[in-house]
Amino acid sequence: MLSVLGTGEAPISVASGSGRTLAFTIREIGSVTSRIKDSKSVGVRGPYGTHWPWKKYDEVLAIAGGIGIPPVRSLIEEMVDAGKERNLEVLYGARTPSDIVYKREINEWGKSIDIHLTVDRGDSGWRGNTGFVPSLLKDVHLGKDAAVFVIGPPLMMMNTVKEALEMGYREDRIFLSLERRMECGIGVCGHCNIGEFYACEAGPIFNYSDVKGEKELFL
Amino acid sequence: MKDAFKAISKDFETFGAVEREGEIVFERVEAFERVSEERSRYAPKEFLISRNENVLILEDYGKTAVFGVKSCDLKGFYLMDRQILGKDPFYTEKREKTLFANFVCNEPCEGGFCSSFGGPVLDQYDLQILRNEEKYHVAVSQRYDGYFNSFQREDGSYLRDFNDRFNEKMDILPVDGLESRMKWSSALWKDYASRCISCGACNFSCPTCYCFDLYDEGEDRKREWDSCILAGFTSSSAGNIRKDLDERLRQRFYHKFVYFKRSSDTYLCSGCNRCVEDCPVEIDIKEVISHDYSEE
Repeated sequence: MLSVLGTGEAPISVASGSGRTLAFTIREIGSVTSRIKDSKSVGVRGPYGTHWPWKKYDEVLAIAGGIGIPPVRSLIEEMVDAGKERNLEVLYGARTPSDIVYKREINEWGKSIDIHLTVDRGDSGWRGNTGFVPSLLKDVHLGKDAAVFVIGPPLMMMNTVKEALEMGYREDRIFLSLERRMECGIGVCGHCNIGEFYACEAGPIFNYSDVKGEKELFL
Repeated sequence: MKDAFKAISKDFETFGAVEREGEIVFERVEAFERVSEERSRYAPKEFLISRNENVLILEDYGKTAVFGVKSCDLKGFYLMDRQILGKDPFYTEKREKTLFANFVCNEPCEGGFCSSFGGPVLDQYDLQILRNEEKYHVAVSQRYDGYFNSFQREDGSYLRDFNDRFNEKMDILPVDGLESRMKWSSALWKDYASRCISCGACNFSCPTCYCFDLYDEGEDRKREWDSCILAGFTSSSAGNIRKDLDERLRQRFYHKFVYFKRSSDTYLCSGCNRCVEDCPVEIDIKEVISHDYSEE
């Protein structure tokens, strides 16, 4: 949780790997996030909740849509630091080429990691893929036993999970990062429930098998 | 009882249910005879969760004893404990330092349905009191046993038998298995939404509703009771996942009877009927329990 005293708190994911300098990537969208940059001091509380369980799996396919990319940056850094980047493949989709975050890092990571980019709408300079994120799944080299980490807007996650399951990825190896209005971070204020789970505590990263029956999953 | 109360008052700041201008409220009391057996106007959850407080400072709370809470209200704390005890430092600190002396009702109250959740004699308590004419039957936890050394000992059968007799006098609602019977698409939610005015009284009067909001005010970070019925409850910069009132009403009842049952193996309701009494549009949680969802 990041905060500006006098304005409030906002739940922000860590964008850096553990052991590295703490980094956050913040879209200015609400009262807190639009004041953080110019604030003399910023409050940090946490970390809370679950993280990508990459250490449990031989191969990891990370799929990010839009502003969902910062936690994947954290994953990439951790796997790079552990010398496991060859076991990682990344799919990342943004609305337009100018919405792509971390362009410099992507060039760097691309030297050792298979990173596939796509945009919903290209522009005159765009030479890459155009299409929604699930359309990149056919280009993946990893096997179907890979863990699949998905983060992004609800519709993108829903379509990605559907496609991944149809292609034969294992349901119990799909993990979703689910966004809700998290306030307390410790599972007591009641705002971020997804069924019986509080996203701040049991999540934000859930195994798809645990939550697939929840009616309010992709909202 | 008077002597035990006196002894407890020496060690605790002591509150009791008393009548004030026609309403039962909690305030400081000096003598056991002052404590009313009537149920308080508001559930005593304020003793553990402030309506509004600054969470940047955790005060050193003193030891507090509260006499005259009703079993249904106290049961609310034992239910909330399962979700928040040990996690919320404010609640945990106050819970640890507060002795609740609950009165067991002699007769069923109008509208109440505590028997559907076990009845008025609780199996968890600090100090549980049942008046029988001029005599008191008391169950006390080990922690506070020392205050009752002069009491004549009896086995627990009187209270157990009393509970059984009490429960026979109340209609038992079909609570068991509710978590699998309730229906997401039930017409109840839209029906309630057509009358509900989103006032949040049901949440505020409920002895088991624990949700709160966090916001900044000057140099303070405040927590304040919140209500899942209010439109802004799930609103964020990403949108609002429960824009419609029927979705929010459903959330309230699903939390109590489906989600909490799954996560904590119990329903989040003590049968006090406060939410029914305080609802200005006659939404009755008993209907949510008794409704025949199979016909929808």
